[in-house]
Amino acid sequence: MPILLFRVDERLIHGQVVIGWGSQLHPERYLVVDDDIADSEWEQDLYRLTVGDSTKVSFFTVEQARQRVSEWMSADERTLLLTRDLCSMLRLARNRLLEGKSVNLGGIHHGKGRKMVRSYLYLNDADRGRVRALEEEGMHASGRDLPGSLKVGLADLLEE
Amino acid sequence: MTEISLSTRLSTFLRSFIIQGSWNYRTMIGGGFAFAILPVLRELFEGPRLDEAVRRHAEHFNAHPYLAGLALGATARLEADGAEPELMLRFKSAIKGPLGGMGDALMWAAWLPTTVLIGLVAHFAGASPWMCVLLFLIPYNAGHVALRLWGFGTGLRWGHDVGRVLRGAALGNLAELVSRGGVVLLGMLAGFLCVAGARGGPIELLWTTLMAVAFTAGLILGERAWRPAALLAVGTVVCVLMVAAR
Repeated sequence: MPILLFRVDERLIHGQVVIGWGSQLHPERYLVVDDDIADSEWEQDLYRLTVGDSTKVSFFTVEQARQRVSEWMSADERTLLLTRDLCSMLRLARNRLLEGKSVNLGGIHHGKGRKMVRSYLYLNDADRGRVRALEEEGMHASGRDLPGSLKVGLADLLEE
Repeated sequence: MTEISLSTRLSTFLRSFIIQGSWNYRTMIGGGFAFAILPVLRELFEGPRLDEAVRRHAEHFNAHPYLAGLALGATARLEADGAEPELMLRFKSAIKGPLGGMGDALMWAAWLPTTVLIGLVAHFAGASPWMCVLLFLIPYNAGHVALRLWGFGTGLRWGHDVGRVLRGAALGNLAELVSRGGVVLLGMLAGFLCVAGARGGPIELLWTTLMAVAFTAGLILGERAWRPAALLAVGTVVCVLMVAAR
Protein backbone atom coordinates (compact mmCIF):
# COMPACT_ATOMS: atom_id res chain seq x y z
CA MET A 1 0.00 0.00 0.00
CA PRO A 2 2.42 2.66 -1.13
CA ILE A 3 -0.09 5.51 -1.47
CA LEU A 4 -0.93 5.60 2.21
CA LEU A 5 -3.54 8.34 2.10
CA PHE A 6 -5.74 10.04 -0.49
CA ARG A 7 -6.78 13.35 1.02
CA VAL A 8 -8.85 16.36 -0.03
CA ASP A 9 -7.63 19.45 1.83
CA GLU A 10 -7.86 23.07 0.67
CA ARG A 11 -4.61 23.89 2.42
CA LEU A 12 -2.83 20.89 0.83
CA ILE A 13 0.47 20.57 2.71
CA HIS A 14 0.29 22.22 6.12
CA GLY A 15 0.90 21.49 9.81
CA GLN A 16 -1.98 19.03 10.26
CA VAL A 17 -0.78 16.99 7.30
CA VAL A 18 2.96 17.12 7.96
CA ILE A 19 2.90 16.80 11.77
CA GLY A 20 -0.49 15.06 12.28
CA TRP A 21 -0.53 12.51 9.46
CA GLY A 22 3.18 12.63 8.64
CA SER A 23 4.29 11.49 12.10
CA GLN A 24 1.92 8.49 11.86
CA LEU A 25 2.47 7.47 8.26
CA HIS A 26 6.10 8.56 7.72
CA PRO A 27 5.74 9.50 4.06
CA GLU A 28 8.81 9.80 1.82
CA ARG A 29 6.92 11.83 -0.72
CA TYR A 30 3.90 14.10 -1.05
CA LEU A 31 2.07 14.13 -4.37
CA VAL A 32 -0.05 17.20 -5.05
CA VAL A 33 -2.52 16.77 -7.89
CA ASP A 34 -3.83 20.08 -9.18
CA ASP A 35 -3.94 21.50 -12.71
CA ASP A 36 -3.21 25.10 -11.67
CA ILE A 37 -0.43 24.45 -9.18
CA ALA A 38 1.33 21.97 -11.48
CA ASP A 39 1.96 24.97 -13.71
CA SER A 40 2.89 27.56 -11.08
CA GLU A 41 6.42 27.63 -9.71
CA TRP A 42 5.87 30.26 -7.01
CA GLU A 43 2.97 28.28 -5.57
CA GLN A 44 5.07 25.12 -5.50
CA ASP A 45 7.79 27.05 -3.62
CA LEU A 46 5.22 28.03 -0.99
CA TYR A 47 3.82 24.52 -0.51
CA ARG A 48 7.32 23.06 -0.24
CA LEU A 49 8.13 25.35 2.72
CA THR A 50 6.18 23.27 5.23
CA VAL A 51 8.06 20.07 4.45
CA GLY A 52 11.64 19.38 5.52
CA ASP A 53 14.33 18.85 2.87
CA SER A 54 14.34 15.08 3.45
CA THR A 55 10.80 14.60 2.08
CA LYS A 56 10.05 15.02 -1.62
CA VAL A 57 7.11 17.04 -2.88
CA SER A 58 5.92 16.58 -6.49
CA PHE A 59 3.19 18.36 -8.40
CA PHE A 60 1.12 16.88 -11.23
CA THR A 61 -1.90 17.77 -13.30
CA VAL A 62 -4.88 15.43 -12.97
CA GLU A 63 -4.15 14.00 -16.44
CA GLN A 64 -0.49 13.27 -15.58
CA ALA A 65 -1.56 11.73 -12.29
CA ARG A 66 -4.08 9.43 -14.04
CA GLN A 67 -1.28 8.12 -16.24
CA ARG A 68 0.97 7.34 -13.31
CA VAL A 69 -1.22 6.54 -10.35
CA SER A 70 -1.12 2.77 -10.77
CA GLU A 71 2.68 2.95 -10.97
CA TRP A 72 2.74 4.97 -7.69
CA MET A 73 0.42 2.52 -6.01
CA SER A 74 2.72 -0.39 -6.77
CA ALA A 75 5.98 1.43 -5.94
CA ASP A 76 7.84 1.02 -2.62
CA GLU A 77 7.95 4.73 -1.85
CA ARG A 78 5.61 5.75 0.98
CA THR A 79 3.41 8.46 -0.48
CA LEU A 80 0.55 10.77 0.47
CA LEU A 81 -1.62 12.06 -2.38
CA LEU A 82 -3.38 15.40 -1.90
CA THR A 83 -5.86 17.46 -3.89
CA ARG A 84 -7.28 20.79 -2.77
CA ASP A 85 -10.82 20.12 -3.93
CA LEU A 86 -13.27 17.30 -4.49
CA CYS A 87 -13.30 18.04 -8.23
CA SER A 88 -9.68 17.05 -8.80
CA MET A 89 -10.04 13.90 -6.67
CA LEU A 90 -13.15 12.91 -8.60
CA ARG A 91 -11.48 13.48 -11.98
CA LEU A 92 -8.56 11.36 -10.77
CA ALA A 93 -10.91 8.58 -9.66
CA ARG A 94 -12.98 8.46 -12.89
CA ASN A 95 -13.39 5.09 -14.66
CA ARG A 96 -12.93 3.34 -11.31
CA LEU A 97 -9.21 4.09 -11.39
CA LEU A 98 -8.98 4.12 -7.59
CA GLU A 99 -11.54 1.42 -6.90
CA GLY A 100 -11.55 0.14 -3.34
CA LYS A 101 -9.40 3.00 -1.99
CA SER A 102 -10.44 5.26 0.86
CA VAL A 103 -10.54 9.02 0.43
CA ASN A 104 -10.08 11.28 3.42
CA LEU A 105 -11.85 14.65 3.47
CA GLY A 106 -9.61 16.72 5.69
CA GLY A 107 -10.31 20.37 5.01
CA ILE A 108 -12.98 22.15 3.00
CA HIS A 109 -13.68 25.53 4.51
CA HIS A 110 -16.68 27.76 4.75
CA GLY A 111 -17.85 29.14 1.41
CA LYS A 112 -20.92 30.00 -0.61
CA GLY A 113 -23.93 27.87 0.40
CA ARG A 114 -21.77 25.47 2.35
CA LYS A 115 -23.16 23.88 5.49
CA MET A 116 -20.96 22.87 8.42
CA VAL A 117 -20.43 19.14 8.84
CA ARG A 118 -17.46 19.54 11.18
CA SER A 119 -15.35 22.60 12.03
CA TYR A 120 -12.92 21.61 9.25
CA LEU A 121 -15.55 20.45 6.78
CA TYR A 122 -18.24 22.52 5.05
CA LEU A 123 -20.21 21.04 2.13
CA ASN A 124 -22.85 22.29 -0.31
CA ASP A 125 -25.14 20.38 -2.68
CA ALA A 126 -22.53 20.20 -5.43
CA ASP A 127 -19.95 18.87 -2.95
CA ARG A 128 -22.34 16.18 -1.73
CA GLY A 129 -22.94 15.22 -5.36
CA ARG A 130 -19.17 14.80 -5.80
CA VAL A 131 -18.93 12.66 -2.67
CA ARG A 132 -21.67 10.42 -4.10
CA ALA A 133 -19.86 10.28 -7.43
CA LEU A 134 -16.65 9.22 -5.65
CA GLU A 135 -18.58 6.36 -4.07
CA GLU A 136 -19.92 5.41 -7.52
CA GLU A 137 -16.33 5.24 -8.74
CA GLY A 138 -15.64 2.71 -5.99
CA MET A 139 -13.91 4.97 -3.46
CA HIS A 140 -14.93 5.12 0.21
CA ALA A 141 -15.21 8.68 1.48
CA SER A 142 -15.01 9.76 5.10
CA GLY A 143 -14.16 12.96 6.96
CA ARG A 144 -11.29 13.24 9.45
CA ASP A 145 -8.89 16.11 10.08
CA LEU A 146 -6.27 14.29 12.16
CA PRO A 147 -5.42 10.59 12.60
CA GLY A 148 -6.53 10.74 16.24
CA SER A 149 -9.96 12.26 15.68
CA LEU A 150 -13.24 10.46 15.00
CA LYS A 151 -14.15 9.47 11.45
CA VAL A 152 -17.18 11.16 9.92
CA GLY A 153 -19.10 8.51 8.01
CA LEU A 154 -20.77 8.73 4.60
CA ALA A 155 -24.25 9.22 6.07
CA ASP A 156 -23.10 12.30 8.03
CA LEU A 157 -21.32 13.68 4.97
CA LEU A 158 -24.40 13.36 2.80
CA GLU A 159 -26.91 14.69 5.33
CA GLU A 160 -28.44 17.90 3.98
CA MET B 1 3.95 48.60 -10.77
CA THR B 2 2.10 51.16 -8.65
CA GLU B 3 4.03 52.47 -5.66
CA ILE B 4 2.16 52.44 -2.36
CA SER B 5 2.74 55.65 -0.38
CA LEU B 6 4.83 55.57 2.78
CA SER B 7 2.00 56.72 5.05
CA THR B 8 -0.26 53.96 3.73
CA ARG B 9 2.42 51.35 4.23
CA LEU B 10 3.01 52.61 7.76
CA SER B 11 -0.70 52.58 8.52
CA THR B 12 -1.11 48.99 7.30
CA PHE B 13 1.97 47.91 9.26
CA LEU B 14 0.61 49.44 12.48
CA ARG B 15 -2.83 47.90 11.90
CA SER B 16 -1.15 44.48 11.54
CA PHE B 17 -0.42 44.56 15.29
CA ILE B 18 -4.12 43.99 16.02
CA ILE B 19 -4.73 41.50 13.23
CA GLN B 20 -6.18 38.99 15.74
CA GLY B 21 -8.70 41.55 17.05
CA SER B 22 -11.74 39.85 15.51
CA TRP B 23 -10.55 36.24 15.68
CA ASN B 24 -13.31 33.66 15.19
CA TYR B 25 -13.58 30.04 14.06
CA ARG B 26 -15.14 30.87 10.72
CA THR B 27 -12.76 33.42 9.23
CA MET B 28 -9.99 33.30 11.89
CA ILE B 29 -7.86 36.40 11.22
CA GLY B 30 -9.72 37.19 7.97
CA GLY B 31 -11.48 40.21 9.45
CA GLY B 32 -8.22 41.51 10.90
CA PHE B 33 -6.52 41.01 7.55
CA ALA B 34 -9.15 43.12 5.77
CA PHE B 35 -8.88 45.79 8.47
CA ALA B 36 -5.08 45.92 8.13
CA ILE B 37 -5.00 46.06 4.33
CA LEU B 38 -7.81 48.65 4.16
CA PRO B 39 -5.52 51.72 3.81
CA VAL B 40 -3.86 50.10 0.77
CA LEU B 41 -7.24 49.28 -0.79
CA ARG B 42 -8.46 52.84 -0.15
CA GLU B 43 -5.44 54.21 -1.97
CA LEU B 44 -6.00 51.93 -4.99
CA PHE B 45 -9.79 51.73 -5.36
CA GLU B 46 -12.98 53.62 -4.71
CA GLY B 47 -16.73 52.97 -4.80
CA PRO B 48 -17.98 49.46 -5.59
CA ARG B 49 -14.48 48.23 -6.50
CA LEU B 50 -13.27 49.17 -3.01
CA ASP B 51 -16.25 47.37 -1.54
CA GLU B 52 -15.48 44.25 -3.52
CA ALA B 53 -11.78 44.38 -2.57
CA VAL B 54 -12.55 44.63 1.17
CA ARG B 55 -14.98 41.71 0.89
CA ARG B 56 -12.47 39.40 -0.77
CA HIS B 57 -9.91 40.01 1.97
CA ALA B 58 -12.38 39.51 4.82
CA GLU B 59 -12.69 35.81 3.88
CA HIS B 60 -11.03 33.02 5.87
CA PHE B 61 -7.32 33.54 6.52
CA ASN B 62 -4.91 32.30 9.11
CA ALA B 63 -1.21 32.71 9.87
CA HIS B 64 1.06 33.25 12.82
CA PRO B 65 0.23 36.80 14.04
CA TYR B 66 3.85 37.95 13.87
CA LEU B 67 4.36 36.61 10.34
CA ALA B 68 0.93 37.59 8.99
CA GLY B 69 2.55 40.89 7.94
CA LEU B 70 4.47 38.99 5.28
CA ALA B 71 1.20 37.87 3.70
CA LEU B 72 -0.20 41.40 4.15
CA GLY B 73 2.80 42.98 2.42
CA ALA B 74 2.75 40.48 -0.43
CA THR B 75 -1.01 40.86 -0.92
CA ALA B 76 -0.65 44.66 -0.90
CA ARG B 77 1.99 44.28 -3.63
CA LEU B 78 -0.32 42.03 -5.66
CA GLU B 79 -3.23 44.49 -5.28
CA ALA B 80 -1.00 47.39 -6.35
CA ASP B 81 0.16 45.37 -9.38
CA GLY B 82 -3.46 44.73 -10.35
CA ALA B 83 -3.34 40.95 -9.85
CA GLU B 84 -6.46 38.85 -10.46
CA PRO B 85 -8.55 38.15 -7.31
CA GLU B 86 -8.31 34.43 -8.10
CA LEU B 87 -4.50 34.60 -8.01
CA MET B 88 -4.50 36.44 -4.67
CA LEU B 89 -6.82 33.83 -3.23
CA ARG B 90 -4.44 31.10 -4.34
CA PHE B 91 -1.48 32.99 -2.90
CA LYS B 92 -3.20 33.45 0.43
CA SER B 93 -4.25 29.83 0.71
CA ALA B 94 -0.72 28.65 -0.14
CA ILE B 95 1.03 30.94 2.37
CA LYS B 96 -1.23 30.17 5.38
CA GLY B 97 0.33 26.84 6.25
CA PRO B 98 4.03 27.76 6.06
CA LEU B 99 3.58 31.04 7.97
CA GLY B 100 1.72 29.24 10.76
CA GLY B 101 4.29 26.47 11.07
CA MET B 102 7.37 28.68 10.85
CA GLY B 103 5.94 31.26 13.24
CA ASP B 104 5.06 28.64 15.84
CA ALA B 105 8.49 27.04 15.66
CA LEU B 106 10.35 30.33 15.85
CA MET B 107 8.26 32.38 18.28
CA TRP B 108 6.19 30.08 20.51
CA ALA B 109 8.65 27.20 20.72
CA ALA B 110 11.94 29.13 20.71
CA TRP B 111 11.90 32.91 21.18
CA LEU B 112 9.25 33.19 23.93
CA PRO B 113 10.66 30.50 26.26
CA THR B 114 14.23 31.72 25.68
CA THR B 115 13.47 35.33 26.56
CA VAL B 116 11.47 34.20 29.62
CA LEU B 117 14.55 32.24 30.69
CA ILE B 118 16.70 35.38 30.38
CA GLY B 119 14.48 37.06 32.99
CA LEU B 120 14.45 34.02 35.28
CA VAL B 121 18.21 33.51 35.17
CA ALA B 122 18.68 37.24 35.84
CA HIS B 123 16.50 36.86 38.94
CA PHE B 124 18.62 34.07 40.36
CA ALA B 125 21.77 35.97 39.43
CA GLY B 126 20.56 38.72 41.77
CA ALA B 127 19.01 41.32 39.46
CA SER B 128 16.20 43.48 40.87
CA PRO B 129 12.61 42.47 40.00
CA TRP B 130 11.96 45.32 37.55
CA MET B 131 15.27 44.61 35.86
CA CYS B 132 14.23 40.95 35.36
CA VAL B 133 10.94 42.05 33.83
CA LEU B 134 12.72 44.42 31.46
CA LEU B 135 15.26 41.74 30.56
CA PHE B 136 12.33 39.64 29.35
CA LEU B 137 10.11 42.34 27.84
CA ILE B 138 12.73 44.25 25.86
CA PRO B 139 14.32 41.35 23.94
CA TYR B 140 10.98 39.60 23.47
CA ASN B 141 9.29 42.63 21.95
CA ALA B 142 12.33 43.77 19.98
CA GLY B 143 12.41 40.28 18.44
CA HIS B 144 8.81 40.18 17.27
CA VAL B 145 8.80 43.79 16.04
CA ALA B 146 11.94 43.03 14.02
CA LEU B 147 10.30 39.89 12.59
CA ARG B 148 7.15 41.86 11.72
CA LEU B 149 9.18 44.60 10.00
CA TRP B 150 11.22 42.09 8.03
CA GLY B 151 8.11 40.13 7.06
CA PHE B 152 6.11 43.13 5.91
CA GLY B 153 9.05 44.59 3.95
CA THR B 154 9.85 41.23 2.34
CA GLY B 155 6.22 40.72 1.36
CA LEU B 156 5.92 44.19 -0.16
CA ARG B 157 9.09 43.69 -2.16
CA TRP B 158 8.57 40.16 -3.49
CA GLY B 159 4.80 39.72 -3.86
CA HIS B 160 3.86 36.13 -4.62
CA ASP B 161 7.52 35.13 -4.99
CA VAL B 162 8.16 35.29 -1.23
CA GLY B 163 8.48 31.48 -1.13
CA ARG B 164 12.00 31.65 -2.52
CA VAL B 165 13.05 34.31 0.01
CA LEU B 166 11.50 32.36 2.90
CA ARG B 167 13.39 29.24 1.95
CA GLY B 168 16.63 31.22 1.81
CA ALA B 169 15.91 32.97 5.11
CA ALA B 170 15.95 29.55 6.82
CA LEU B 171 13.80 30.61 9.78
CA GLY B 172 13.96 26.97 10.91
CA ASN B 173 17.73 27.26 11.45
CA LEU B 174 17.20 30.51 13.34
CA ALA B 175 14.67 28.74 15.61
CA GLU B 176 17.21 25.97 16.20
CA LEU B 177 19.88 28.52 17.14
CA VAL B 178 17.56 30.38 19.54
CA SER B 179 16.52 27.07 21.15
CA ARG B 180 20.16 26.20 21.77
CA GLY B 181 20.64 29.50 23.57
CA GLY B 182 17.49 28.69 25.57
CA VAL B 183 18.90 25.30 26.55
CA VAL B 184 22.09 26.93 27.91
CA LEU B 185 19.93 29.31 29.99
CA LEU B 186 17.81 26.39 31.22
CA GLY B 187 20.98 24.64 32.40
CA MET B 188 22.01 27.79 34.28
CA LEU B 189 18.53 28.05 35.81
CA ALA B 190 18.64 24.40 36.92
CA GLY B 191 22.00 25.04 38.56
CA PHE B 192 20.68 28.11 40.38
CA LEU B 193 17.59 26.22 41.57
CA CYS B 194 19.72 23.34 42.86
CA VAL B 195 21.93 25.66 44.88
CA ALA B 196 19.19 28.10 45.94
CA GLY B 197 17.59 25.83 48.59
CA ALA B 198 20.79 24.48 50.11
CA ARG B 199 21.13 27.35 52.59
CA GLY B 200 17.93 26.59 54.56
CA GLY B 201 16.49 23.73 56.61
CA PRO B 202 15.25 20.20 55.67
CA ILE B 203 12.48 21.26 53.27
CA GLU B 204 14.91 23.32 51.24
CA LEU B 205 17.39 20.48 51.36
CA LEU B 206 14.72 18.08 50.03
CA TRP B 207 13.95 20.55 47.26
CA THR B 208 17.62 20.84 46.36
CA THR B 209 18.05 17.07 46.34
CA LEU B 210 14.99 16.63 44.14
CA MET B 211 16.24 19.28 41.73
CA ALA B 212 19.66 17.67 41.54
CA VAL B 213 18.17 14.21 40.93
CA ALA B 214 15.75 15.51 38.29
CA PHE B 215 18.49 17.49 36.55
CA THR B 216 20.87 14.52 36.48
CA ALA B 217 18.11 12.17 35.30
CA GLY B 218 17.24 14.61 32.55
CA LEU B 219 20.87 14.78 31.47
CA ILE B 220 21.25 10.99 31.36
CA LEU B 221 17.88 10.05 29.91
CA GLY B 222 17.26 13.09 27.74
CA GLU B 223 14.87 12.42 24.87
CA ARG B 224 15.26 8.66 25.22
CA ALA B 225 13.08 8.58 28.34
CA TRP B 226 10.00 6.45 27.89
CA ARG B 227 7.39 8.67 29.48
CA PRO B 228 5.45 6.30 31.78
CA ALA B 229 8.74 4.77 32.95
CA ALA B 230 10.24 8.20 33.60
CA LEU B 231 7.14 9.27 35.56
CA LEU B 232 7.30 6.09 37.60
CA ALA B 233 10.99 6.65 38.35
CA VAL B 234 10.38 10.26 39.40
CA GLY B 235 7.39 9.20 41.54
CA THR B 236 9.46 6.53 43.31
CA VAL B 237 12.32 8.94 44.00
CA VAL B 238 9.89 11.54 45.38
CA CYS B 239 8.22 8.96 47.68
CA VAL B 240 11.55 7.68 48.97
CA LEU B 241 12.70 11.23 49.66
CA MET B 242 9.42 12.14 51.42
CA VAL B 243 9.76 9.10 53.70
CA ALA B 244 13.42 9.88 54.33
CA ALA B 245 12.62 13.51 55.17
CA ARG B 246 10.23 12.43 57.95
